[in-house]
Amino acid sequence: MRISTQTLFETGAARIGELQSGLVKTQQQIGTGRRILTPADDPVAAARALEVTQSQSLNIQYGVNRQHAKSSLGAVEGTLSSVTALLQDVKTSVIAAGNGSFSDTERGFLATELRGRFEQLLGLANSRDAMGNYLFSGFQTATPAFAETVPGVVQYQGDQGQRLVQADATRQMAVSNPGQAVFQGGGVDVFETLNDLITLLNTPGTAGLAAGLATANSDTDLALDNVLTVRASVGSRLQELDALDNAGEDRNLQYSQILSELQDLDYAKALTQLSQQQLILEAAQQSFVKTSGLSLFNFI
Amino acid sequence: MATNILSIGQSALAAAQVGLSTTGHNIANAATPGFSRQVVVQGAAQPQSYGFGFMGQGTEVSTIKRVYSEFLGSQVRTAQTTQSGLDSYYAQIKQIDNMLADPASGLSPALQTFFSGIQELSSNPSSIPARQAALSSAESLASRFQSMAGRLDEMAQGVNSQITASVDVINSYAQQIAQLNDAIGRAQGATGQPANDLLDQRDQLVLDLNKEIKATVVKQGDGDYNVFIGNGQPLVVGVTASRLTTMASPTDPEKIRVAYQTTGGSVMVGESSLGGGKLGGVLEFRSRTLEPAQADLDNLAIGLATTFNAQHRLGQDLNGTPGGDFFVVPSAQAGASGFAVAITDPKLIAAAAPIRTAITTGNTGSATISAGAIDAGYLAAPLGAPLTLTYSAGTNELSGFPATEAVTVTSGGIATVFAAGTPVTYTAGASVSFGGISFTLSGTPGDGDSFAVGPNTGGVGDNRNALLLGALQTANTMNGGSSTYQGAYSQIVSQIGNKTRELEVTGSAAGKLLSEATLTLQNESGVNLDEEATNLLRYQQAYQAAGKVMQIASEMFDVLLSLGR
Repeated sequence: MRISTQTLFETGAARIGELQSGLVKTQQQIGTGRRILTPADDPVAAARALEVTQSQSLNIQYGVNRQHAKSSLGAVEGTLSSVTALLQDVKTSVIAAGNGSFSDTERGFLATELRGRFEQLLGLANSRDAMGNYLFSGFQTATPAFAETVPGVVQYQGDQGQRLVQADATRQMAVSNPGQAVFQGGGVDVFETLNDLITLLNTPGTAGLAAGLATANSDTDLALDNVLTVRASVGSRLQELDALDNAGEDRNLQYSQILSELQDLDYAKALTQLSQQQLILEAAQQSFVKTSGLSLFNFI
Repeated sequence: MATNILSIGQSALAAAQVGLSTTGHNIANAATPGFSRQVVVQGAAQPQSYGFGFMGQGTEVSTIKRVYSEFLGSQVRTAQTTQSGLDSYYAQIKQIDNMLADPASGLSPALQTFFSGIQELSSNPSSIPARQAALSSAESLASRFQSMAGRLDEMAQGVNSQITASVDVINSYAQQIAQLNDAIGRAQGATGQPANDLLDQRDQLVLDLNKEIKATVVKQGDGDYNVFIGNGQPLVVGVTASRLTTMASPTDPEKIRVAYQTTGGSVMVGESSLGGGKLGGVLEFRSRTLEPAQADLDNLAIGLATTFNAQHRLGQDLNGTPGGDFFVVPSAQAGASGFAVAITDPKLIAAAAPIRTAITTGNTGSATISAGAIDAGYLAAPLGAPLTLTYSAGTNELSGFPATEAVTVTSGGIATVFAAGTPVTYTAGASVSFGGISFTLSGTPGDGDSFAVGPNTGGVGDNRNALLLGALQTANTMNGGSSTYQGAYSQIVSQIGNKTRELEVTGSAAGKLLSEATLTLQNESGVNLDEEATNLLRYQQAYQAAGKVMQIASEMFDVLLSLGR
C-alpha cells in the first residue's frame, strides 16, 4: 500500500496530540482531585452531585438551626430553673409564715421579702435572650411579656404564638413558650398567688391566716407543677435536638461519601493511568522520530 | 538512420526531462494542502513504416495528469463538513460546559447560600443582622443569575460574529471558485490538457468551503464546478458566484441571520437549510443549545422570583405591614438578566404571618386553636381587628365569623360550606377557613368558650412566613410542579453535560472518519518522497541513457564522415 509522506507526519502528529491531551486530562484530574472536570465528563453524576450538595447544605443548615434552637431553649430552661428555685423559696416562706409565734411585724418582714420575690419573678418572666428579645411574650418579642398595670396586678401583654425552628427536614420544633401558659397557666396565676400571699401577710391579726396560707401553699404547688411540666417539655426537646444532631452528623457523612463516590478521583487508578499514558506517549514520540527519519534521500 | 537515432534519443531526453521536472514539482509540493501528485503519461511515438516493418520513432509525452479520485474527494468533503460542524458546535457548547464545570461558580452555591440566609432569618426573625445577611445572600443570588445570563449573552454575541465571519469567508471562497472555473475553462479549452494545479486549487477551495458550510459539487460537462449549499441553494454557477449576507432577525434584533443577497434586497435563508460546517455548527448550537439554555435559565429566574414573591406577600414585615415583592420579577424579554432584589431595607423582609390566634383566658373546655395560616385570598380583605369566635354548647355552634364571609369546615377530607352570616357547627379536629384564613380547632370547648383570631400586631418574633419561605427550597415549584429550583438548574447542567458528551463522542467519530477519508485520498493522491526519490533516480538514468543514445548516434555520424577522408 502506498502512503503519502504527508500522511506519515499528519497521523504521527495527530496521535501524539491525542496522547498529550489524554495525559493533560489525567494530570488535571490528579491536580484537582476531581473525576468530573466538567459536566460533560459524567452528566448524570454531575447533576446528581448538585442535588446531593443541596441536601448536604440543607443538612448543615438544619444543624445551625438546631444550635439556635438549643440556645433559645437553653435560655428558657435557665430562666425556668430560676423560677423553680424562686417558687421553692416562696414555699419555704409560706411554711415559715405559719409559725404561730410570729407577730404581725415579723409577718410584715416576710411580706416585704415576698414582695422582693414578686419583683424578681416579674423580672424573670420578662427575661430577654442574647439578642434582646423577650423570651415569654409569644410573637411580640419586642414587647415585655408582663406588666404590673396596677400595683400587685400583672397582666400578660404577649400572645400565644410559639416560634418554631426547622430542626430537621421534617421536624419543626417550638423554641419558645408563651409566658401566659408558663406563669398564669395550670389553673393558677403565680403573680396573683404571690400578691394574695403578700396581702395576707400584711393583714394584721391571724384571722383567716391558716386558711390563706393553705391556699397559698397549694397554689404555689400548682404553679411549681406547671413550671416543672414546661421544663420537662423543654428538656425533652433539648434531648431530641441532641438525637437529631447525631442523626444529622451521620447523614452528613453519608452525603460526603456519596459526593466523593460521584465526583472524586480514584488516585491509585489515575496515577497508574498517568504512567501508562506517559509510557505510550514516549513510545509514540520515539517511534515517530525514527520512522520519519527514514528517507531514501538519505542514501542518494 | 543516424538522424533518426538522434531524434529518438532527443525524444527520450525530453521525456526524461519532463519526468524530472514533474518529480521535482511533486517533491516541491509534498506539503502543499490539496496538492495531488502528478505523473507523466508517456507513450511510444507513431512508428514509421518500412518495407521490413514498423520502426519505432522514440517516445512522446502525451500528458501530465494528476492522480485524483473524484469519489474519494467527495467523501473527504462530506466528512470534512460534518466534522467542522460538530467541531464548532462542540467548541461553543464547551464554553457553557466550562462555565458550569466548577461546582463553586455555578448557580447552586448561590441558591444554597440564599436559602441558608432565609433559614438563619427564620431562627432570628427580629435580628437586623440576620435580615441583612438574608438580603445580602439574595443580592448575590441575583448577581449570579445576572452574570450567568451575561455570559450566555456574550456567547450569543460570539455566535453573531462567527456567523458574520463565516459568511465573509464563504463569499470569498465562492468568488474564488467562480474565478477558477473561468481560469480552468480557458486553460483547458486552449490546450485540451488538464490544468492540474488549478484543478487542485479549486478542489481545495471546495474542501475549505465545506469547512464553513456543507457544499455539494455538480461537475458540468465543460469542467465547471457548480456549487450548492444547504438544501440545494446555488452558490456558484459557472463563472458567477452568489453572495450571502447577514441581517438582523425580524423577531429579535440581537440575533444575526443569514440571507441571500439579490438585486432586490436580501432574502433570509431558513436555518435548517444551512447545515454542516462551522456556520451550520454555530447555527445549530444557537438553536439547539444556547437558546434553550437561556430560556431555561430565564424560566428558573422568573419562576423563582414569582413563587418566592407569592409567599413573601403572604407575610408581614418587621414594621407590621404586609409583605411586598421580595424579588423583581424579570420580564420575559429580560429573563435572568433582569433578576434583582426588590427591597433594600432589611426590615421589609416579611418573616411573620399577618394573623395570630389565641384561646381566651378563662375558657372552661379543653379546646385548642392552631396557629393559623393564610392564603392569597386574605390579602383582599385583611382583618382590621381581632375576631372572637364563641362556642355555644346548646347548639354546638360557633358564632362571631365575619358577616360577609362564607365559612368552610373541612373534616376528614369532606368540606362543608356555611353561608355567610350563619352559625357554624363545631367539629373537633376540623379545619376552619374563611376569607383566606384557615386554622384547626380541636378538643372539646365548654359553653361560652371563645377563640380569638386577629392581626399579628407587634409580632416581630414571629417566623412562620420565614419558615414557609425556607420550605420553598425543597418544594416542587418548577417545571409544572415537578422539580425544585435546584432540580431545574441541575436539569440545565445535565442537558448541557449530556449534549457536550454526545458531541465529544460524535465529534471524535467524525474526526476519525475524516482522517480515514483523507488518508485514503492521500494514499492515492499524496506525494511519497521515497517514491519520488525512486522516480528521480529512474528519470536521471533515463536521461543519461538517452544522452548515451545521442552520443552513439553522433559517433555513428562521425564514422560516416570519416569514410570520405
